[in-house]
Amino acid sequence: MATFDMRNKRAEAGTIASVATQAFDVVVIGGGPAGMAAALAAHKAGARVAIVEREQHLGGILRQCIHPGFGLSHFKQELTGPEYAQRFIDQVHATDIALFLGSMVLGIDSGEPAEDTEVHTVTLMSPAGMLQLTGRAVVLAMGCRERTRSEIKIPGSRPAGVFTAGLAQRYINIENLKPGSRAVILGSGDIGLIMARRCTLEGISVEGVYELMPYANGLRRNVKNCLDDFGIPLHLSTTVTRVIGHDRVEAVEVSQVDEHLAPIPGTERIVPCDTLLLSVGLIPENELSVAAGVELDPRTRGAVVDQSLQTGVPGIFACGNVLHVHDLADNVTCESERAGAAAAAYALGTGAGAVPDCELTVSPAGIAGYALPGRITAAALTKLNFRVRRPVDAARVRILAGDEELLAGKVRAFMPSVMESFPLPAKVIKQALDLGASEIVLSVDPVEEA
Amino acid sequence: MTETFDIAVVGAGITGCAIARQLARYDLTICVVEAANDVALGASKANGGLVHAGYDPAPGTVKAQVNARGCELYGTWAQELGFLFCRTGSMVLGFNDEDRAHLEKLRQNGVANGVPELSIIGPERIRELEPRASAEATCALWCPSTGFVDPFEVAIAALENAVANGVTFIRSAPVEAIEVAGGEATDGAARFTLVTPVGDVRCRYLINAAGNGAADISHMAGAEEFQMVWRQGNIVVLDKEPRALMPLYPVPTPVSKGVIVTGTVHGNTVITATAAVREPGDTQTYASDVNALLTGARKLVPDLDTRRVVRAFAGGRPVIQGTNDFFIGQSAVVPGLFQAAGIQSPGVASAPAIAERMEHVMREAGVALRERADWDPIRHAPDDFDRTPLARKEELIESDPAWGQIVCRCETVPEAEIVAAIRRRPGAVSVEGVKRRCRAGMGRCQSGFCQSRVVAILARELGCDPSEVLLEDAGSWLVEGPLKGVR
Repeated sequence: MATFDMRNKRAEAGTIASVATQAFDVVVIGGGPAGMAAALAAHKAGARVAIVEREQHLGGILRQCIHPGFGLSHFKQELTGPEYAQRFIDQVHATDIALFLGSMVLGIDSGEPAEDTEVHTVTLMSPAGMLQLTGRAVVLAMGCRERTRSEIKIPGSRPAGVFTAGLAQRYINIENLKPGSRAVILGSGDIGLIMARRCTLEGISVEGVYELMPYANGLRRNVKNCLDDFGIPLHLSTTVTRVIGHDRVEAVEVSQVDEHLAPIPGTERIVPCDTLLLSVGLIPENELSVAAGVELDPRTRGAVVDQSLQTGVPGIFACGNVLHVHDLADNVTCESERAGAAAAAYALGTGAGAVPDCELTVSPAGIAGYALPGRITAAALTKLNFRVRRPVDAARVRILAGDEELLAGKVRAFMPSVMESFPLPAKVIKQALDLGASEIVLSVDPVEEA
Repeated sequence: MTETFDIAVVGAGITGCAIARQLARYDLTICVVEAANDVALGASKANGGLVHAGYDPAPGTVKAQVNARGCELYGTWAQELGFLFCRTGSMVLGFNDEDRAHLEKLRQNGVANGVPELSIIGPERIRELEPRASAEATCALWCPSTGFVDPFEVAIAALENAVANGVTFIRSAPVEAIEVAGGEATDGAARFTLVTPVGDVRCRYLINAAGNGAADISHMAGAEEFQMVWRQGNIVVLDKEPRALMPLYPVPTPVSKGVIVTGTVHGNTVITATAAVREPGDTQTYASDVNALLTGARKLVPDLDTRRVVRAFAGGRPVIQGTNDFFIGQSAVVPGLFQAAGIQSPGVASAPAIAERMEHVMREAGVALRERADWDPIRHAPDDFDRTPLARKEELIESDPAWGQIVCRCETVPEAEIVAAIRRRPGAVSVEGVKRRCRAGMGRCQSGFCQSRVVAILARELGCDPSEVLLEDAGSWLVEGPLKGVR
């Protein structure tokens, strides 16, 4: 009896003698805003750099984000996504950064440490064939993907007309195709809000934006500019509980939810529509990272990194939405420049030293949903990023080591839609080390209002 | 348009396709008439893909006779038809003494049904066979012959092989009426006329393999009145694991095998299936069912990350009320009509044996089955880029750069593989049809990144406008058309 056992099948990404190889100091995977900023920073630091990009063009998802709102912090002016991307594309083209476009990375192999430096081998494919790039350092900048209907388990039928907001954005902004006439949007994340306005401008009527949580999930400015200004209703604490329609969406059933986010029986309402757009969260795309041995933080679903954005695999760095989901491209740029510079320093051996000064983990507490970096290996000024899990009018950031409070921030409001940044001075890190701590806790604690 | 065949098979599910493939070796003109626009769009699509070993059906039932035999035949079928089949073996997990007594009954059942190598094993052996099985399981029925397949891949492969051997596939042809002429079935005249929107199909012998539509077909022909029940099941697919799980079953309930966790041929995990009698045609998923699946699965595999749901779907099992058994044979009312009705679970596992049995029944009924000299049992599977070794990947890209153009990033599907899925016979005519053939869009992003590209390729290959490209069947349009400007 013939038996086929493919249970242990694994993608192969080992070095293959027949495949051509090109050597670089830093190989950047992804040519979106994160990849371009990292590559430019690494190049500026004197590294030989390559960018590998799946699409035929640099720019990543910014190419379809034709709305304004980009560049306010980085360029001090308001740009559209493609304009913002073009500034970096022009800079990349002005350098000798090697571009591998239309190229898909199949695997990263960190192999055995060869001689004195470990070299990573990146196997990629394109219509020109297979190719291997070696890099002393690799920067992961693959971005994220959208959460799907299945992941949030919307029951009902499975007709055409259920799109993630980003797919609908691609149909409209890149393909010039109309995905429907009458849309319901689930999720008030920034993409959902932007698409509510975009659909309206393109003559697609938006029946409403529905949000599971009791607050809007996108930036406040987007709620105003995209919904309020166009009279599009936002229904909070309400979600889609059924998709209706056999071939094409005919309606959705929406229900209010209780404080545990469970639908309340009896509140069901049928909303006729032919299109359901989902803006229900983004997930860092780390399948490649995991295959390369990179450990992930279950909270961010991105890599666990240290203050230089280096992952647990020496020489592999991560930045942008593949590390944690950002709300502003400007922040992605800023973070990725740091990753690129650190990768170049690692590759060229110009870093502060491969031997870590210390080993501290960073954990979130209170209403902080995560804290990044998750590891600190040097007693130097470190920018801590975090998000709160729910909105609060008054709370403060506290830095703790054991029972000791080392630092406390100002009392102010926090929103889950805003990625926060909190500077951790070198002396606080030293303090923690002096206390013999192995962990620093970033706690966001609501305070009683006066 | 009227076409005449020796045999018309109604239904291109796994049963109809397997029968067509089985009969294609004989000197007969055969067609497969399908209501939908593609293969395996009914119960065969909404299926967990398990090739059950056959210890479950009550001895003496038709199910019992075809299940173990079907499972046995899968090895040969997989080799000849080039589809993926993993014979991993399975365990029915028991958690207490009462369960152990059930397992012993199942084992005896299996022995009576001819299932090989069944044994009751203890906790140590359970962990050795599947380290992720619940540590609370104290005993298990170990069944080495169980396996799993992609049910639609099996159906597609069988029909491709049948078509390559001269079988005609008529799609989008729901049978609206059946006219039966008098006379003997064996006198050579076409007795049956199937009325469909795409024309009449005449045939000497009619095979009813219409799945959930089998009762309607039988009724239209004036044959047996099957009372059918739509026993609906929800199924959940989870993202890929480094190692596919061995199928793990709970002790069965009176109406179903319970919530089963299994690996798939592509490394995903499937949780299958709930069982609830619902309105015929209901393929909705229900929150309560999905929760029951996830809870049931965690009982068998406690470390299963049930957040990683890639897809939830549902389908109906065509159950004959009362007997709960398969009906495979010539109609007692209308000679020349052969029925494969009530093919619910274990329909996938039994399909090759149902085909074999149907061939036997027809031969017994006097249908002349003369072997053709030019019959080719082999179907060459299309190149699967993701699974192919690096050296072959290079060759493929060298032969055509479209092999190097990845369209679906989650499943690593290049453009050339999608084009092949459309150009093969019978080829894909929809986005979902492409997905079932080469997995573009089947991964964790559920086509968020590649759908617009697959639509463009389909439009180009089929010579139509993007607004005419369908997600699945008629009416499932994806885009209305251009937004503005000249095209």
